Amino acid sequence: MSSGDEAPQPRPVLWVVAAVSVVAALLLLLLATGKPASERATDGRILGRVAPLIEGPTIDNGWYDIDQLRGQWVVVNFFSTTCVPCIREHPELVKFDQRHAPTGDASVVSISFDDSADAVIEFFADNGGDWPVLTENTGSVAVNYGVTAVPESYLVAPSGIVAAKLVGGVTADDLDGQMARLTQEASS
Amino acid sequence: MSNSALGAAAVSIGVACALAGIVVVALGLAGRRPKWFSDASLLVAVMAAAGVIAFAVMERALITRDFTVAFVAEHGSHQTPALFNFATLWSALEGSIILWTLILCGYVVAVVRKFRDRRDDPMVAWALLTLFVVCLFFFGLMLGPAAPFGTFDPPIGYDGPGPNPLLQNHILMAFHPPVLYLGYVGFTVPFAFAISALVTGRVGEGWLLITRRWTVMAWGFLTLGIVLGAWWSYETLGWGGYWAWDPVENASFLPWLTGTAYLHSVMVQERRGMLRVWNLSLVVSTFSLTILGTFITRSGVLQSVHAFVESGIGPAILSFFALIVVVSLGLIAWRGDELRAPGSIDSPVSREGAFLANNVAFAAFAFVVLLGTIFPLIVEAIDGRTISVGNPYFDRMTMPIGFVLLFMMGVAPVLPWRKASGEVLSQRLIWPAWIGAAAMVIAALIGARGWAPMLAFGLGGFAGGAAARQLVLATRRQGWRGFVGRTNGGMIVHFGVVLIAVAFAASNAYVRQGEFNLLPGQTAELSGHTLTYEGSDFREYSNRSERTARISIDGGQAYEPGIATYPFAGQTIGVPSVRSTWRDDVALSVLKFPEGANDAVLLRATIQPLVVWLWIGGLVMAAGTVLAVMPGRRRNPLLPVSAPVETHEPIDVPQ
Repeated sequence: MSSGDEAPQPRPVLWVVAAVSVVAALLLLLLATGKPASERATDGRILGRVAPLIEGPTIDNGWYDIDQLRGQWVVVNFFSTTCVPCIREHPELVKFDQRHAPTGDASVVSISFDDSADAVIEFFADNGGDWPVLTENTGSVAVNYGVTAVPESYLVAPSGIVAAKLVGGVTADDLDGQMARLTQEASS
Repeated sequence: MSNSALGAAAVSIGVACALAGIVVVALGLAGRRPKWFSDASLLVAVMAAAGVIAFAVMERALITRDFTVAFVAEHGSHQTPALFNFATLWSALEGSIILWTLILCGYVVAVVRKFRDRRDDPMVAWALLTLFVVCLFFFGLMLGPAAPFGTFDPPIGYDGPGPNPLLQNHILMAFHPPVLYLGYVGFTVPFAFAISALVTGRVGEGWLLITRRWTVMAWGFLTLGIVLGAWWSYETLGWGGYWAWDPVENASFLPWLTGTAYLHSVMVQERRGMLRVWNLSLVVSTFSLTILGTFITRSGVLQSVHAFVESGIGPAILSFFALIVVVSLGLIAWRGDELRAPGSIDSPVSREGAFLANNVAFAAFAFVVLLGTIFPLIVEAIDGRTISVGNPYFDRMTMPIGFVLLFMMGVAPVLPWRKASGEVLSQRLIWPAWIGAAAMVIAALIGARGWAPMLAFGLGGFAGGAAARQLVLATRRQGWRGFVGRTNGGMIVHFGVVLIAVAFAASNAYVRQGEFNLLPGQTAELSGHTLTYEGSDFREYSNRSERTARISIDGGQAYEPGIATYPFAGQTIGVPSVRSTWRDDVALSVLKFPEGANDAVLLRATIQPLVVWLWIGGLVMAAGTVLAVMPGRRRNPLLPVSAPVETHEPIDVPQ
């Protein structure tokens, strides 16, 4: 440590502060622009690829096959009847489904996660919604899509490609907005 | 009044008080309000009451399972046992901010009480202003990005999932977060006074003396919190380790490193008046790093085993971090050069020289850890690849620094201030050196091999010897009082560090891990221990069902590692079981239970020597901290320091 008592006052602290400021600014920039780790981990795996197969019996004794729905948007919704955000997002899915049912340009499919079929049937009876719901052998579907926690939704484009992943609860407007954005991106 | 409304009201009152506090103190500083202190005290009291009410309301909602509060609906459950239900508050983001704010309020109340006789001192005013700003930020978080009192409309018969199962299977979870927060938040007080010192330009030694005990206590809590966290992870995660250089662990370790550096370099300033700007920078860095740690833990920007769920809180915390950095750097740039102390270090072989070297080592340590923690982000920003920085980097980079620090711990306590002669040094170091050599010989005799652990044992003995020398001399002079006071308490902390260093080296170097497929009645051998699988059990608890394997170790008592299923959280977790003795630990975890009755169970056993000394070392460090803050015998200011003071040199005169 020199005392700095020579004639032209040296200001070493100022220089050090300037250097530290540059480093701190870079650090802040880095932290502010870094994408969440979970996105980094799963984005590449599923987005832009052909939607993994979803096929099986539905709770109203129908048969579902996502490949039959090429040509329209499909919201693949993973949920569980005991999860709070799932309960919260449910009315939004109902709204979205009702909005698109007349035109047939988009539909919803729900896939239950760790739930009994009875609980799921009751859940839909209580909360509304009459789109296909799959409860059997859903574990492998969830793994194929890379689901980490419910609720999680995937937007499958009319081409059959997974176009977006939505972590957490969705809203009807959010889904429509995503569809509009993706359509615009594809056409431009 | 519903819990949600009451809690939200408390948060609003807290925000209002913090805002009003800032205004009142500012008016007081401007000289417009002579009686500002009593107003500020009142505001602090109301604000603290708001913090207590927010905490109490959330606990009441959790205990009564009031699912109309969204936080309770998302993290509470009828099935959670009482203790973990209480701890649910800090198991998730919003609740953890409540706890943080409560502790912060407690510290502010303590500051106001402590300094009520110095109400005219602008130093106290500026510190209080800083504290109000920090309070405003945390109450503000609860108002917006991390609002804990959102409402939920539960369907009839609704029951929540309960906290993450990993957070409700070990009692340490009830203690690790609060203790850690006491440490993190405690650094707000020295930070506030450092800012105050910079603003008022009174960077003499006054602010240091004011905040000395606060800093030491905060440091002690942080130390204990980190050790408890390591212990918890060892007992519950079942991978046989206790420290993984995970970003969240690093987030708590970084402020510890800079805080430890400060506790040492501050003594140079007190004795010699030097390193003033450096000390201020360390205090500011420590506080900034606690906020950065909060960001890393809660923003989800880095992949970590125990990061909180991603949330919108990241930008708010990052902005606050930016504010702290900008204000602090601005103040240091403005004041720094005029505050620099006269005088220089006479000789590198002196107590102050050793403290300076210690600080270089700690700063390097912190840099290495910070770089490793954010390196994945740097790589991704530059070329878009996703990488992770693992243990090899951290182990290789930090080990030499650890050795340097252990060596310094042996040398520094025996060095006199100002200048040491070779004669004095060799005379004082002879016993610690012998103890270090003896430690290596004993270790070799009982079968220790490998240069790194041997070096750690030798240096550990050396450092322990130096600490013992100081304590022997002190108790000879002062009786039992030779254990209290900063220097002597500090030596006990050094003992704790030595225990941890030795245990860390031994458990890492001599770990043995094996995986075995065992049928009932079969036995496996690992590292001198026999493990016999006796059979399995199944038990139901309120919040989980558990399948356990009875494993007897060395023909003795059976330990029961297992797998627990938490139906409401929809999760299955391993429940390890550990046999600890003073020599070694046998940690067992079940990887897979058989499908059929006659299939084998897949068991993992990890045997590590001396693990229990890590926890003992942590407790010794905490005990040493308590002794260090107890008032010791004051050095008579008329007594000369170890070497004669040259009278022409001013010791403590601001330029």
